[in-house]
Amino acid sequence: MSSESGNAVAFVNRFRTYVDRGNPIRNMDPIVVFIVLAAIAIAPIAFPGFVAAAIVCLIYPVIALFAGVAREFLPTYLKLFLVVGLVLFVLRAAFIDGEDPLFRLGNIAPTWAGVEEGARFALLVMAISGAVTLFFNLATVRYLMLALELRGVTPRATYVILASFQSIIDLGRHARTVLEAQQSRGIETQGNIIVRARAFFPILAPVFLAAINQTEERAVSLDARAFNSNVPHTHLVMLRPTRPRELVVAVLVVATVLAAFIGSAVGWF
Amino acid sequence: MVLAALRGVSFTYAYTNEPALRDINLTLEEGLLYAVIGPNASGKSTLCALLRGIVPLFHEGELTGTAEIRGRNLLEWDPAELSREIGYVFENPFTQISGIKETVFEEIALGLENLGMPPEEVIDRVEQVVEQLELGALVAKNPNELSGGQRQKVAFASIIAMDADVIVIDEPTSQLDPESSDAVFAIIANLKKSGKSIVLVEHKMDLVAQYADRVIALNGGRLVIEGPTSEVFTSPLLNASDIARPAVTELAEALVHVGRPLSRTPVTRAEAAELIRARMKGGSRADRSR
Repeated sequence: MSSESGNAVAFVNRFRTYVDRGNPIRNMDPIVVFIVLAAIAIAPIAFPGFVAAAIVCLIYPVIALFAGVAREFLPTYLKLFLVVGLVLFVLRAAFIDGEDPLFRLGNIAPTWAGVEEGARFALLVMAISGAVTLFFNLATVRYLMLALELRGVTPRATYVILASFQSIIDLGRHARTVLEAQQSRGIETQGNIIVRARAFFPILAPVFLAAINQTEERAVSLDARAFNSNVPHTHLVMLRPTRPRELVVAVLVVATVLAAFIGSAVGWF
Repeated sequence: MVLAALRGVSFTYAYTNEPALRDINLTLEEGLLYAVIGPNASGKSTLCALLRGIVPLFHEGELTGTAEIRGRNLLEWDPAELSREIGYVFENPFTQISGIKETVFEEIALGLENLGMPPEEVIDRVEQVVEQLELGALVAKNPNELSGGQRQKVAFASIIAMDADVIVIDEPTSQLDPESSDAVFAIIANLKKSGKSIVLVEHKMDLVAQYADRVIALNGGRLVIEGPTSEVFTSPLLNASDIARPAVTELAEALVHVGRPLSRTPVTRAEAAELIRARMKGGSRADRSR
């Protein structure tokens, strides 16, 4: 048997078994991953100060390490921290009023209260954005949608979400094509930001009009593939059934976060 | 059995004034390969869309006359049921990729999943189609990153996989090189052999002449002529309607104009080769006798 046909057989055989993403955490039910990360992300809201948010931000790299996605997750998360987190922290810390300014820089007089509030706000945002970033490293939207469909969400709803993600990529690709076409006609598209903006805005109309125009064709094409058939759809890709221990983890995390919010409401913290 | 019966059918798309189809009277039989030919904007795609119920069930407009598909009025068909009975390969390969599948293999399987076929059967069926269309090299690729020609093949495979009794194909070779076009037509011929009814829009007249049982010629939304392939391509009605004919038929016409007509007008290359061979043999005999 040639290596090419051997590869083809191996490729097809992967549809005969459960999806294996090569790691127990990444093999978890995507809905469980989503619920656990969402619960962890909102947990710091229940606590005063920034310590809880900081702990949550530190939990993500640990999860990423165990899931084998640290190399993908950490650089992105660090960039988010440096760009978004730092800007949010500086803006909040600098402009929140308080007593005993730490120092003065013209009209800007940061206070300890401002620094604390800035740190809390920035870390809360980082806790939420970290969860989103980590989710996309741990699970794929495609598998999440499949898991939702298996639990009764309509194929139309999952299609809209998946196609929206793809349409972002398609729009970008189409915009590049139009931009290159303009370039080949001698229109200046490179240079400073004003030149780039001047070249970019005129392409928006054709790109979006083409996308709108294609929507109808896509819908009819999908109908030709029996998308609207009344029988329950089957699925070629097989997701591993949710293991009891995954459910236990999800229930424990959600219960803990719920307890934290109840505690916050009744004044434990 | 009658596949479609159109009586006095006209169709005007919503928000347009000119009808795309005008007073079409046509009966299509099952089990045959019909080719729909005509210049641009002659109504070919609209006729195909009508046979599949896309007009007026999806694209709104004004339909007059009566259109019956497999003995039932088109307007009485459930669109989902029609999608199972009649497969449709669209002209634009870029809008036929679902955009939600990671590999070509899964893309071809989408229609079967939607029909509720068990996964093991889906795998077997897709493997068959992949082999039939020689798509082995593409199965693991992302369908969103294929070229136009590759997408066209995948879109074609996706519909073939669904195994509908009737397949409407709108310009399946528009993005393909000659070799791939021949391969697609060979598959279409096999589909016909297996009992499928096929309605095909195609501009490559040589291929139409070689494979089609009957030809429907349209111009300006009107039916010019419908009949057996050789009759249609040799009909003077085509000349008057600016509809292209196979190269060998044009050649035979040219020979008539220079006073050297062939014994009959060929429409396929094989026929032309046979007639020219006979002419050459006759010619050399004439030379020897001189």
